Amino acid sequence: MALDVSEALDPADGSIFDVLSGSSLQRALRGAAGVAAFIGIWWLAALTQPTYILPTPLSVGETFYAEAASGEMAVALSQSIRHWLPGAVFGTTGGIAAGIALAWSPLLDDISAPAVRVLRPVPPLALIGFAIAWFGINHAGAAFIIAVGAFWINFYSTYGGVEGVSEDLLDVARSLGVQGNLELIRAVVVPASLPEITTGIRTGIGRCWMLVVASELFGVPGIGRRILRASNNLQVDVVISYILVLSLMFLLVDSAFRMLQRRVLAWR
Amino acid sequence: MAVEETDVARVRIDGIGKRYDSSKGSVQALEGVSFGVTAGEFVCIVGPSGCGKTTLFRIIAGLEPATAGTVYLNGDPVESPGPDLGLVFQEYHLFPWRTVAGNVGFALEKSGAADAERKQRVQELVNLVGLDGSEDSYPRDLSGGMKQRVALARALAAEPSLLLMDEPFGAVDAQTKKMLQDELLDIWTETGKTILFVTHDVEEAVKLADRVVVMDKEPGRVREIVDIDIDRPRQRSDDAFTDYYERLLDRIQH
Repeated sequence: MALDVSEALDPADGSIFDVLSGSSLQRALRGAAGVAAFIGIWWLAALTQPTYILPTPLSVGETFYAEAASGEMAVALSQSIRHWLPGAVFGTTGGIAAGIALAWSPLLDDISAPAVRVLRPVPPLALIGFAIAWFGINHAGAAFIIAVGAFWINFYSTYGGVEGVSEDLLDVARSLGVQGNLELIRAVVVPASLPEITTGIRTGIGRCWMLVVASELFGVPGIGRRILRASNNLQVDVVISYILVLSLMFLLVDSAFRMLQRRVLAWR
Repeated sequence: MAVEETDVARVRIDGIGKRYDSSKGSVQALEGVSFGVTAGEFVCIVGPSGCGKTTLFRIIAGLEPATAGTVYLNGDPVESPGPDLGLVFQEYHLFPWRTVAGNVGFALEKSGAADAERKQRVQELVNLVGLDGSEDSYPRDLSGGMKQRVALARALAAEPSLLLMDEPFGAVDAQTKKMLQDELLDIWTETGKTILFVTHDVEEAVKLADRVVVMDKEPGRVREIVDIDIDRPRQRSDDAFTDYYERLLDRIQH
């Protein structure tokens, strides 16, 4: 199932044609075999266990369908998106901006280096108190948790990319009339470090989906909340259904971004 | 030759010195380097490796400060790289994320020229360096010779009053090198640019230059300035060519 979805989500790849040709076909077949084997083992294992320990794939499928049909799933998903999206957007742009600024300016780098080292290892979850105090138990608070996660990933990948920009290219740009930090950043630094920046964005997007559950721990509604509630009730089939929703959302957004990344980095 | 009636120095290199100080002591890379280039002139700097050619290139370009002396371009001291000085490097340094046309048009984007005008200018420059048909290629798909053509066109786009080239044909094969030299001479004749060209290749200097600045090493300084008084196009097989070649080689080696 997962395989079908990923293909359908990737139309610009011409995936039907790619998949049908030679090694891609082989890869797709192996992937399908892997999925089938996984479901098979799961099924066999589930037959020996009660449903509250491990439900069968079929019962998970039924629950998934029921949740989707009742509209519960759509509600939970739209709630999660309401903090996932602003969290991802603010964390990503903030991380990229900070990465560029600190990698470009030795002064800013020196000033902020101690603060960066102190804040870097703090897990987003540890900031729940701040989320509640500053934003409240709402989408803004959850978005804050997600943004913190996205921020660091984007900060470090951008920082590395900007640090690696060739001094020679900057010299060439200056000799061609580019003046001032902002102009150099726009004309050379950002395009030259786009491979690292986009890799950071992509990694960060994935991290944001992982953080959806954490960001809903303190009571904000959404997929994570639904998973936590179902866990408390030992509804493992519901838990798995919503985990699947997270996975599918990740796949969808990641494939879309990968397409964009390929287009932007066509020069590589 | 191609010198205009004004004998004003387009570039004046005045007592340039460069000393590198480190904990292990100091090294005098350049000392008292002085010469001028008049408008429209083609001057080559040759010298053995370690004579500070590239350091001198970087100082003239404004990429590195001298520890003594001043470089004047059209009478003004050069302190930083700018559009009046077109740079061409051995390693091309193209913007890999830009197409051929994008690289060539880079300097024009700052000029505020109208779109159509800019496009036309880019096309002219692309044609000038013989790359028509490759406008939309990215640098990764170009050969070394093509990359250097792009770099040349990109530098010319800013309409610099001096073209400063550092061993531009040092990384291409012999055949391409010959072709690029001929093309550069054609472009020089066509545009009337002033060119200062650094090379370690004596034959290249004799083939291209109006005048050759021969450098010495340890410390890097000007040993002699030789006028190359042969009509163009110059043939390697001409006696006059050979005479100059051997004379310069002799100067460099002794």
